[in-house]
Amino acid sequence: MEKLTYNSAKKELETIVLAIESGEMDVDLLTEKVKRASQLIAFCKEKLTKTEKELQKILDDIV
Amino acid sequence: MFDKSLSLTELNYRVRDAIRDHLPDTYWIRAETSDVRPNRNGHCYLEFIEKDPARQAIVAKARGVIWSGVFQMLSVYFEQETGQPFTSGINVLVRVSVDFHELYGYSLSVTDIDPSFTLGEIARQRQLVLKQLEEEGVLTLNKELTLPEPANRIAVISSPTAAGYEDFRDQLLKNQARLVFYTKLFPAIMQGDRSEGSVIAALEKIFHYKELFDAVAIIRGGGATSDLSCFDSYGVAVHVAQFPLPVVSGIGHERDVTVLDMVAHTRAKTPTAVAEFFINDGWKTFSDLIGLQDRMVSASEAIAMKEQNLLFSLSKEVVHQSMRLLQKETAGTQQVTATMGHALKQHLLQQSHLIEKREQFVQMVSPQNVLRRGYTLTLKDGKIVTSMQDLGVDDTIETRFRDGISVSRITGLRTSDNSQEKKQS
Repeated sequence: MEKLTYNSAKKELETIVLAIESGEMDVDLLTEKVKRASQLIAFCKEKLTKTEKELQKILDDIV
Repeated sequence: MFDKSLSLTELNYRVRDAIRDHLPDTYWIRAETSDVRPNRNGHCYLEFIEKDPARQAIVAKARGVIWSGVFQMLSVYFEQETGQPFTSGINVLVRVSVDFHELYGYSLSVTDIDPSFTLGEIARQRQLVLKQLEEEGVLTLNKELTLPEPANRIAVISSPTAAGYEDFRDQLLKNQARLVFYTKLFPAIMQGDRSEGSVIAALEKIFHYKELFDAVAIIRGGGATSDLSCFDSYGVAVHVAQFPLPVVSGIGHERDVTVLDMVAHTRAKTPTAVAEFFINDGWKTFSDLIGLQDRMVSASEAIAMKEQNLLFSLSKEVVHQSMRLLQKETAGTQQVTATMGHALKQHLLQQSHLIEKREQFVQMVSPQNVLRRGYTLTLKDGKIVTSMQDLGVDDTIETRFRDGISVSRITGLRTSDNSQEKKQS
């Protein structure tokens, strides 16, 4: 699977939300989509609020 | 020859006197400052230069001095009016007297300054640089960049020792929203002659690592206002304008907008304001995400609710329908029961009628009744006689009537024509 970025996650999330909002989603599919959306939201939130030590180290190592 | 000769001192005196005689007044002159150096006694020494506008080559030069008494007032006044200190590299309009000293030579001593000329010159210079950038088609390039989402990896160009840099980091890393930021300092000299090259070098280094960053912050600590010419220079501006990452400026200048501010993606006044800009942007990114989450929750809740309602009304319908069916069935059963009862009754009634009729018939045909209607019963030896064949002359027979029995002796027998029939009946 392609590596998830904030941008790709948000784009996918927007697509899911629009699909849900259209009101034409099958209930069985809905559960699946809500689960995926929740994963994406958690991923994005983490990007915004949790420090990636690895990245900070890469930046610190630039001389 | 020797008698007519002059000592250097004597010549210099003559030059001095000639200058005093021919240039006795003070004169307003336009020139660029250079090598400005206030000394410990409060005097300020400098060079006045004039450049050829096309070639930028120095075409005239004069030493200058601002005596302590004048410089104290003049420097404060100049800084108040222009927002920048009296320093090298600025175009000034100054009133000077022309001096000649036998030992130190030609110099101009400053008695007054017109800051509005400098302001005009700065503005004019800025306009020239902006016009050039526009002609080259790069003026708005950085402004046209979209700040990535999230913009939390920030390359910082600053003097490492500046208080402004610490303020920036503190503000950013201790933000209330607890958003995460990454900063990397690319140190640069932020004022003086070497600042332009230093800032450009820092930009070039960041360019090398551009994939690791979302934006660049060029910040300079507050404190006393200082030379901004670096941020009005074409060199810095053209690099910033074409930089592939959005540049946010915060060079601590309240008064006016430098060329850097004009070409930067976003202009903030101070380093703290730059930090606030990134925090607000991060908060907006976060809010957008929460907005999406809310939309998803409410939309899926709406679907769930709809489904639930549908289910509920379906189940209600089921209950309703089954109730109806049940009622119908019950009613039907009752009907059937009733019908059955009725039918049974009818049947019974019919049966009983039939029985009654049969009784009547039976009664009607009972010997008693038959006798009553005038028929008689003939018995011989206690047995009913139904045929002539059973009788003979002189037999004694009993004839039973309704109301009694007669005993007779047979005197004659006559067989009837239809005895056959009689026999059978």
